[in-house]
Amino acid sequence: MTLADQNQDKTNRLKSTRLGGKMTADYWDNIFTAKERGKHVVWYNGAAMNPLFQAAGLEWCHGEAFAARLAAQHLEEPAQAAGAEYGYIGELCSYARTHLGCAVLTQQTISERQTGVVGVVDQQELAAKLPAPDFFVNGYAGCSTGQQWDAMTYRVFDRKLPIFNVSLPMLWGNKPDAGYMRGEEWEEVSTYAEGQLRELVSFLEHQTGRPFDWDLLSESMSYIKRASELRLEAMQLCTLAPTPATYWDWVASIAPINFLPGNQALVDYFAGVKAEIQQRIVDGISGVANERYRVYFDGIMNWNKLGFLTRKFAEYDVAVVAGRYTHESFWQEPQLIDIDNPLRGMAQHYLLCPLNHGLRNLQELLLRRLDEYSIDGIAFHSTRTCRAMTNPQSMLAKSAERERGVKSFFFEGDVADASFYNDELFDSRLEAMLEAIDVQRMKTLA
Amino acid sequence: MATLRTVADDPVSYALNWKAAHSRPVIGSFPMNFPSEIVHAVGALPVIIQESKTPITEGRSMLAEFYCGYTRSVADQASIGELDVFDGFVVADHCVQLLGAVDAIRYSRPEKPVHFAQFTSAMDDAWTKPRVDGRISDLKTEIETVVRARLTDADLARSIKAFNENRRLLRHFYDLRRSGRARITASEMQLLVKSSMVMDIHEHTAVLLELLDRIVVRDEAPDDLVRLHLSGHFCHAPKPEILDVIEESGGLVVDDDLYTGFRYISTDVPEDGDPLAALSTWYLERNINAPCPTRVTNKVDWDTYLLESLEASRSVGVVVLMAKFCEPHMLYYPELRKALEAHGVQSLLIETEHEGIPIETLRTKMETFVERIRRHPSPLPA
Repeated sequence: MTLADQNQDKTNRLKSTRLGGKMTADYWDNIFTAKERGKHVVWYNGAAMNPLFQAAGLEWCHGEAFAARLAAQHLEEPAQAAGAEYGYIGELCSYARTHLGCAVLTQQTISERQTGVVGVVDQQELAAKLPAPDFFVNGYAGCSTGQQWDAMTYRVFDRKLPIFNVSLPMLWGNKPDAGYMRGEEWEEVSTYAEGQLRELVSFLEHQTGRPFDWDLLSESMSYIKRASELRLEAMQLCTLAPTPATYWDWVASIAPINFLPGNQALVDYFAGVKAEIQQRIVDGISGVANERYRVYFDGIMNWNKLGFLTRKFAEYDVAVVAGRYTHESFWQEPQLIDIDNPLRGMAQHYLLCPLNHGLRNLQELLLRRLDEYSIDGIAFHSTRTCRAMTNPQSMLAKSAERERGVKSFFFEGDVADASFYNDELFDSRLEAMLEAIDVQRMKTLA
Repeated sequence: MATLRTVADDPVSYALNWKAAHSRPVIGSFPMNFPSEIVHAVGALPVIIQESKTPITEGRSMLAEFYCGYTRSVADQASIGELDVFDGFVVADHCVQLLGAVDAIRYSRPEKPVHFAQFTSAMDDAWTKPRVDGRISDLKTEIETVVRARLTDADLARSIKAFNENRRLLRHFYDLRRSGRARITASEMQLLVKSSMVMDIHEHTAVLLELLDRIVVRDEAPDDLVRLHLSGHFCHAPKPEILDVIEESGGLVVDDDLYTGFRYISTDVPEDGDPLAALSTWYLERNINAPCPTRVTNKVDWDTYLLESLEASRSVGVVVLMAKFCEPHMLYYPELRKALEAHGVQSLLIETEHEGIPIETLRTKMETFVERIRRHPSPLPA
């Protein structure tokens, strides 16, 4: 790669995703004023349970989403410093560490105490903006840390606020007939999770003192279902080479599909994304100039390096076209949603979190994506404090090489802690993989 | 003691010898809530797989370096064939790192049955017990298939009694140590418990009874040592040399809530009623008797339990042993620290690693800690 290549931005991000950024910013601004408007606030983690909260008339704060947003804006450090002062060790999930730091700050603000480490301005910037919860809901699939994280948030708030846990069993694949969305295990745990959602609705009714609005849930899920269909149709268009949009565009679209309200604006957003991609195909515009390599991204997003990595891959003529985080999550099986009776389909989506599969399911999903997107290589983001995402990575890398001859590389980083990223290692490992792909191509041609 | 040490140091050789002698299967299980009784009752040997002392080699290509020592060791043992003696593997706990290690077994030894009976970890819900009942029923079926034997209620009831007797004996050793009348070092206590996780339970009980006959019980407890409680360290046993340094520094370990310690033997399985249902009752009650940070509950707290334990054992300091990268412990630690500080109890955090820690540095820390307690004795928790 020449110096000129390094200085040239070869990315061509979708314009339509900017609207998603604005919608997300508006969402958080609205959340920050929830208490002034006399609203009940739920803090939740894990699965996208927001349609239930929407139908219950609540305001909802997703812990991971808020931690990711802080990291993407490089505002995570005050919360993490407060967490460290409280006792959270730096090897703990950085989402949890950031969010628990916010909880500590929020709680301290409530009780008019100051830490001595985090300045008043920072506290106002972070903690004062995040409205204190009235209760918690946890529905964490796959990662045991997620459940324990809320158990600790409950304790940070002096064990006074109600908490509801939805227990989502892992799709381990014990039975011979087990596989992605099939087999006895799948049906059995779907019923179990659905039953808990029904209990959650009763809990919400108790907390709000209002009957749950089932019609509003159906309406909200109808928008989410349509938005999901449009999102998947747009993703499918990116199987073309060169790809008209990249993984980074789908990362930019996570917030809308993951926790924004189910409404017409959500549908319009994904219709806009799809339309832009279709137009790009007509106009012959690609997501990365001079696409030479098609790469799959495995790992949770390194939020504080989002723009940086987008440009970095493109500098090497790499189009990152798909990923486990974006493509195996977020209402990705809309056919499961029955608008008139949505709880089962919702429960099934919560179970389909990409952290909630045993290795066999993940191998099946990865091979499918490698074929579908004609992948040349895999970037494994060895996400330092996310054991859930890194659990199967070494074995997935071996499977991809063995089954499809697809090369891969690993790079260190983290979801919300920039200190774990090493740029020199990233460059050398990516270059090594691209060279290996070149050698493989030459052999094939010969 | 020599017999127990041999077993605890090399569980795989014990399993190999047992298998050769009995021509029966050996089933490997994992911490921290697997009911071994169910394996024992079908005539197989239940062994809780231990962290190996050997350096991690092949396993480095299975799990990332930022996994706890136990899980990396399990992946390594599977990769190098160390676990081939086992006829099947069973796990009940939903620790994200542990599941990675167990998946590494599935990957490297695809011919071996590996069953995950996920015990719901949210303990307060009405649907938890029925769910755990269902998982135990699945577990029964799976173990019957692997061992090729039927599990009867009568056999299970007998196994429950045998394990209860063993636990009661071990708790008696704890009582003696807590009273100060019997000098049982922390590493010796670990040996007693760790070997019970590996050995045939009847054989282990026989050894314990022999030991009990020989143990010297004094009339009075010595009062010149600083009484300490060891806290934490789930899944695997802390290295004995760490425990020895703690006591060489002038501390007397009188109690603990370690997994390879009191946590493991805290609770008996009910001996009346349906024996399968009794196992899920045991699972729920265990978390009340010794609250575990890997479980989610509002009814009990580890910090409250710890303070009550300190009062019972008259411990004046707490050494927190934390396996590096253990997320449940990292998450809960601030709550423990906060509670201890609020009650004026001094504590020392020691992070442990599979590769070991510099012992002389630890010695300095421990000596300083003991000295600090001597100079500023904390009040016994009230």
